[in-house]
Amino acid sequence: MTGLRALPLAIRIPLLVAILMIAVGVVASERVLSRLQDVQERQLSDLTEAYLDGLSSSLVDPVLREDPWEVFDILDRARGLYAAVRPLETIVLDDRGTVLAASDPRRFPIGSPAPPQPDVLFANAAHVDEEEARAYARRMLTVEGRQVGSILVAIDAAPILEERRAVLFTLLASNAAVTLAAAVLGWIAVRRMVRPIRLLGTHLTQALDGPVSPIPAALIPAQRTEVGRLFRSYNALALALGERDALLARAAEEERLASLGRLASGMAHEINNPLGGLFNALDTLKVHGDKAAIRKGSVDLLERGLKGIRDVVRTTLATYRPDRELRPLRQADIDDLRILVRPETARKQLALDFGGRLDRDVPIDAFQLRQILLNVLLNACRAAPEGGTVRVTVGTKGADFMARIEDSGPGLPEDAEQILKGGLKPTAERGGLGLVITSRMVGDLGGSLVADTSALGGARITITIPMAVGAAAEEVLHVA
Amino acid sequence: MDNLLRPSRRAVVLGLAAATARPATAAAVSVLRFGLTPVFLSSDLDLLANLQTYLEATTGYPVELVTRRTYQEITTLLVSGELDAAWICGYPYVAFRDRLSLVAVPVWRGRPLYQSYLLSAAGRGVRSLADLEGDVHAFSDPDSNSGFLVTAAELAEMDERPETFFERTLFTYSHRNVVRAVASGLAASGSVDGYVYEVLKEVSPDLIAPTEIVRASDWKPFPPIACPRAYEASAKTEALRVALMRMTDTGDGRAVLDLLRLDGFAPGQPGFFEPIRLAMESVRRLG
Repeated sequence: MTGLRALPLAIRIPLLVAILMIAVGVVASERVLSRLQDVQERQLSDLTEAYLDGLSSSLVDPVLREDPWEVFDILDRARGLYAAVRPLETIVLDDRGTVLAASDPRRFPIGSPAPPQPDVLFANAAHVDEEEARAYARRMLTVEGRQVGSILVAIDAAPILEERRAVLFTLLASNAAVTLAAAVLGWIAVRRMVRPIRLLGTHLTQALDGPVSPIPAALIPAQRTEVGRLFRSYNALALALGERDALLARAAEEERLASLGRLASGMAHEINNPLGGLFNALDTLKVHGDKAAIRKGSVDLLERGLKGIRDVVRTTLATYRPDRELRPLRQADIDDLRILVRPETARKQLALDFGGRLDRDVPIDAFQLRQILLNVLLNACRAAPEGGTVRVTVGTKGADFMARIEDSGPGLPEDAEQILKGGLKPTAERGGLGLVITSRMVGDLGGSLVADTSALGGARITITIPMAVGAAAEEVLHVA
Repeated sequence: MDNLLRPSRRAVVLGLAAATARPATAAAVSVLRFGLTPVFLSSDLDLLANLQTYLEATTGYPVELVTRRTYQEITTLLVSGELDAAWICGYPYVAFRDRLSLVAVPVWRGRPLYQSYLLSAAGRGVRSLADLEGDVHAFSDPDSNSGFLVTAAELAEMDERPETFFERTLFTYSHRNVVRAVASGLAASGSVDGYVYEVLKEVSPDLIAPTEIVRASDWKPFPPIACPRAYEASAKTEALRVALMRMTDTGDGRAVLDLLRLDGFAPGQPGFFEPIRLAMESVRRLG
């Protein structure tokens, strides 16, 4: 049964139709044949009765006189008179049951014992023996209540059996033809009916691996049909999903630009801070450049200030350079994070506490992972109060890279947790869009992002990403 | 022979009936009533029509042809005077010779003689009556010379009687039916008129094909046309005799003779039937 269920509808339904047709055909044929058999046997009985009636009226006298010739003469003439009955053999027995005369005297000579008769031989009905293609009947000859003899007749039943066979073959042939035609029509009809469902199935399967594409308008039937409504519903769904993806992408871009803006202002601040000192050093050099001690101190100051600016610029370039290359994550990337959030920590006088070190390269796309860590870290800095604490811990555990970012802020709002678990949609009012986008980026790397409460009192975001999974990670290692 | 005594009794009764209830049937209308027995092919309607036409034209009398199933019925009508004449077998003629007179004797193949044949199924290979012991045997009529008396007389010479010599005997009341009985296998053997058998050989070869002649008897006197002795000299009898004798003279007559396969008719001599009388005597002696 399960094997049958595995068959496509286009085969199952025609098969079912064929089976039903065969069942109907068998039942109908059985009824027709049985009715035909009844009618034939009744006709045969009627004919036989008419034959025996005719014979018995003329045979009573010669049988009483025991006149074999006259009995034979009557039988012989009856053969021509009753040609329609097709009597094969007629035997007339006397009251002792011996043959008085038979239509074939050589087989049943005068005075021979009666031939064996079928057990089921009733007085008023012909018994059809299908094997011999003969029907047998018997008639008692009685005069004034006394039995004076009997007539046995064997009738040729071959024509009626032949007719029955012909009807059977006709029924078989026509039923087979009708069944085949019904199965073929069923197959064609079901194929036509199932085609839209298959089209829908193809689109749904494609949506698993890529964008959800709507069904072209040319393939959609009229609105009033079931399939028309189904396709329109599907297209509405596809449209909504497409819009949501576009919205998310736009939001992610906005988020990126926002964080870029914050970084830019931070970076400007970072560059601006030493500039005052550098210009002072330049002024000092202009005035007191001839004094070696002062010159050296001023050049050192200049060098340190320029180095700081260079670090900031390099880090920013590493984070936002569009033509970045795939490379593994290094401790240097973690160190860069400190530089990147320094404007934020400095502004809010946050204690930034880095824990753990990466002893070796982590085979995960450094660009994406830096972006993820930076987003979470910036979020934590924003959540932490003035003078608060932000703690970053990185390391590897087994085959996974782990990073934990904690803060002493008020913790994640309820909505954000719901959003992370997929229970709520992110909105402008709720915020948390950054977290959702980050979570999706983690998902892209095959990892997971879990939010809970930190010992510092605020939120704790734990990111776990498996190392060296898939070609991307291998590629990262290779490039490294 | 019982069945030979019986007609005489019935003849008297019928004769009386004819004399009282229908006293003037024959005379008043002047119809020539001519009886026919199955000595020849009585079933042929063409023959009957031709014969009637010929006799009416030649004798000048309206002719009524009377047929019955058995010889006995015709003999009784003839003896009682109900018929003006009849074509009967030599055996009843001899049995009632004191009450009947000869009108004419048919001539077949140049002579007023014929034979009785013993028949059996073709290929059985028997050659004498003695071989037929224990058969189912078909006779044509108990009053037939060729279809019964000849065989019975031959058995009498062997001190046998048909009822005991044969397993069973049948009477088919026509020579043609004797041939049918033997051909179908209903009877293993039969006694038949040789003249009828020879004519059947021509007209119904299929019918006689499954039979063969076991033996042919001596030549016997052909069944004659007889009239009641009382009408021996009547005008009707004379007219009939002339019509029969002159049958070859007219086309109609020759057509009838052709159908009968006969040459013509000749005047008969009473002593001519002596062989039948002797046979009858021998059978009666044994009975």
